[in-house]
Amino acid sequence: NTIACDGDGGSVRRASCFFPRFPTGMSLIPRAAPAASMAFAGRDPAVISLLKMLPLLLLLTFSSAAAPPAAASPSAVHNNNWAVLVCTSRFWFNYRHMANTLSLYRTVKRLGIPDERIILMLADDMACNPRNNYPAQVFNNENHQLNLYGDNVEVDYRGYEVTVENFLRVLTGRHESAVPRSKRLLSDEGSHILLYMTGHGGDEFLKFQDNEELQSHDLADAVKQMKEKHRFKELLIMVDTCQAATLFSQLQSPGVLAIGSSMKGENSYSHHLDSDIGVSVVDRFTFHTLAFFEKLNMYSNASLNSLFNSYDPSMLLSTAYYRMDLYKRALNEVMERYIYF
Amino acid sequence: MMMPPSTARRLCFLSLLLLLLLLAAAASATADAAAAEEFTEELLLRPLPDRKALAHFHFRSSAPPASAAGRHHHLFPKAISQLVQKFHISELELSFTQGRWNYEQWGGYDPMSTNNAKPPGVELWAIFDLPLAEIDATWKNLTHTLSGLFCASINFLESSTAFSAPRWGFKLNEGNLRYGALPREAVCTENLTPWLKLLPCRDKAGIASLLYRPSVYKGYYHSQKLKLKSSQSLGIILDQTLTVVLQPNTVSGKQLHSTGGQLQPSWSMEHLFSKKLSGKCLVSKSSRVFVEIEKGIVDNVDKAGSDVSSNNDLFVLSTAPDRSLKELDNLEVQSSSLYEYDVNNYNSDKPLNVGITWKLPLIWSCTRAPYHASRFLMGSGNERGSIAMSFLSTGLDKQLVDSSNDCSIKAVVFQVVPWYVKVYYHSLEVFIDGNSKAISEVVDKIHVTPSEDKLLPGTMEMLLKFPCSMQLATLTLDFDKGFLHIDEYPPDANQGFDIPSALVSFPEFNSSRSYPEADPLFVSPLLENFKEDGVVKSYTEVLLVPLTTPDFSMPYNVITFTCTVLALYFGSLLNALRRRIGEEERGLKKAALVRELQFALLQSQSQMLRWSTIYFFCWI
Repeated sequence: NTIACDGDGGSVRRASCFFPRFPTGMSLIPRAAPAASMAFAGRDPAVISLLKMLPLLLLLTFSSAAAPPAAASPSAVHNNNWAVLVCTSRFWFNYRHMANTLSLYRTVKRLGIPDERIILMLADDMACNPRNNYPAQVFNNENHQLNLYGDNVEVDYRGYEVTVENFLRVLTGRHESAVPRSKRLLSDEGSHILLYMTGHGGDEFLKFQDNEELQSHDLADAVKQMKEKHRFKELLIMVDTCQAATLFSQLQSPGVLAIGSSMKGENSYSHHLDSDIGVSVVDRFTFHTLAFFEKLNMYSNASLNSLFNSYDPSMLLSTAYYRMDLYKRALNEVMERYIYF
Repeated sequence: MMMPPSTARRLCFLSLLLLLLLLAAAASATADAAAAEEFTEELLLRPLPDRKALAHFHFRSSAPPASAAGRHHHLFPKAISQLVQKFHISELELSFTQGRWNYEQWGGYDPMSTNNAKPPGVELWAIFDLPLAEIDATWKNLTHTLSGLFCASINFLESSTAFSAPRWGFKLNEGNLRYGALPREAVCTENLTPWLKLLPCRDKAGIASLLYRPSVYKGYYHSQKLKLKSSQSLGIILDQTLTVVLQPNTVSGKQLHSTGGQLQPSWSMEHLFSKKLSGKCLVSKSSRVFVEIEKGIVDNVDKAGSDVSSNNDLFVLSTAPDRSLKELDNLEVQSSSLYEYDVNNYNSDKPLNVGITWKLPLIWSCTRAPYHASRFLMGSGNERGSIAMSFLSTGLDKQLVDSSNDCSIKAVVFQVVPWYVKVYYHSLEVFIDGNSKAISEVVDKIHVTPSEDKLLPGTMEMLLKFPCSMQLATLTLDFDKGFLHIDEYPPDANQGFDIPSALVSFPEFNSSRSYPEADPLFVSPLLENFKEDGVVKSYTEVLLVPLTTPDFSMPYNVITFTCTVLALYFGSLLNALRRRIGEEERGLKKAALVRELQFALLQSQSQMLRWSTIYFFCWI
């Protein structure tokens, strides 16, 4: 029964796998764990945990280099921020999803997260699309005041690379060895991560490129792996699709906040149509989120509670949903820690 | 033995002095090494015959050879030197292109079109300094690193189905060259951002500050290229070029001249880029702007009788140039003219805005390659088709040719075809001026690497010999369309699949332009590149092949249908095996009876209990 370590690409059983994470990034849980837990789903959990504990106990008793076994350190200090921004739609008529993601990208950069800490995934090219009358420019408002594309945009995953597989690899950090650092989410236990996804979705799924789906249990599983590997301290997931709240139904990991643009059975609507470009340029939920953030700067002290309170169902034409039960702190205490230090 | 104190002191002093001298020497050595890194920036502007303007940006960074592995750079981008070291690259070229170079209007013979006309999408080739067995693995890692560095999906070139190893069709090599192209890769601001970050002044100062993104991406053709040459003797030389063809949208261009013809549009740098040049990049060794007036215009000026200065009867340049250079070809006849502006003389108070104003309507043409090569698809349906390549004579050869019968013009064709377009190389047919010719008459040398399903693309390198008097030649190749696995289809599979551009080069024609410079100290890298001996090359079009696409909803349909059938089958089976008709009702009746009896028993028990307690109390 060979147990493999995450991240080292091999199937070598190493004693250090069972010890707490060193700065090199080896995980505490061996790679076989998620699959094994699913295979044993029907059996008695106590027996399973005992079986899993046995090799661990044996190794602990026999190995000499015993580093102090510590569980997830609850007192990990927040020391860095990451943002993973995903646009999952392709084709020109989904311009607004690209504009949504780029608006968040611009906001997040303006409020202090540098490009090195942002993973931007855009499923299609709108700015230099032959149908775009304004080359190298993407607007989220028909007044064309703000060019979201700017001069300094860096897209990490483009076009056909935006797939469910790559998305899950980014979240869990399980890449091939050749993948460069700029395409990896190099977060640790002190990271606050903002995960923003937009596109077309439905009951318990989100559509990627009209081709495949990300299901709610896939997302929950990835977040669970992230928690087990200490890849975040707090995670804020924002999803702007139809029936977005259903995507969070399977989440169980502590420290996760989830905001969705609509409840089950509701659609999320676009905000307005730009007759010059010819398509809708922004979605309502993202428009109001941006309206909130545009009033802030790096030194503001706004809390997430005020963000939630700013969502008006009559303006959104849907009920914004937020899931706070996995989050331990009171929301009015949470300063916008996802955006700045 | 104790030395007398005075000699000890002298010795101490001498050793200190020696130490200081050594340190100074070392410092000067490192200072020399660091100071020898150079950066030059240049911009070349040229009016094109079809009312457009060409702008060519050229940035060169060079780093001297270093003996130690880790060293400090102050101008040269560290990312590139690490790339060269890690992957043992001796030559590399990476280009991002959008649009098609219009060989008919913009020329095909001069060094600008030969070096800067690139196929659409991404093209990457590299020569490695490694044993042949390690090159494929290194190529894979290189593609991933470049995809992270330039925000493009260059990592799709990693699999063996995407790249090929030509031996002589592309560039003569001993098997350590790898070539790959992605025709459908989008090129946008995110590719330019990291490219500009390799320059010492980025896009904040110097010539790169002119790059207003909407102007660049509004062009008819834009191609950014990174060319790298590394050797032990010369160190690393990095050439970054950006070639843009723009349409100046000025009022004067639409006016009719008094003579009845339409004037060419007058444009300036401000019209093209919405900005003026306000100074050079301070760390650059030289910063220059050139305006090139082609031979066609110069001939017209000569015919009009005036001298080709910056202000003549046909056109006038808005700013007087610092210098003017004339091209000398083999016959010592002057062809093109080059006007040079040194950006050192300009600053933010006096910005440089080079422009050209036309006085008389003028039509001219650029020199073209001997044959205009184009490629197209024949056939219909989703089973088979043909690739046809045509060579149309442009009349250039007439000038260079004697009318003897054994005159011939050589052409080298290099083509890579993906595995799902299964080419039958035996079906190659050649037609010269409409007549079918035997292959041996036309094809001198041919090297084919046939495709393998899901493993290798098909590579073809051919040396053709055309008679000089030929007008049109056509080559055709038949192919079958293959089937892809459902996972291998891209999300927009109904668009079709691309066959990358083929490269056609004419080894007997040399494309170089020599502008002899007065000052031997200021060697301009742009003009140096022009002087280099290069063969005339042109790229054909990218072909779009529609393949059969399956109904992608079929897996879902099959699963749903099968599960329904199985559920119905097993449900009925279990029903038939386990269900007894009427047994349920009987069981229910029995249960009802039992319940009644129990109830009656309970009632009687409770009654007995009541009477017994009453008797007991009575008794008490």
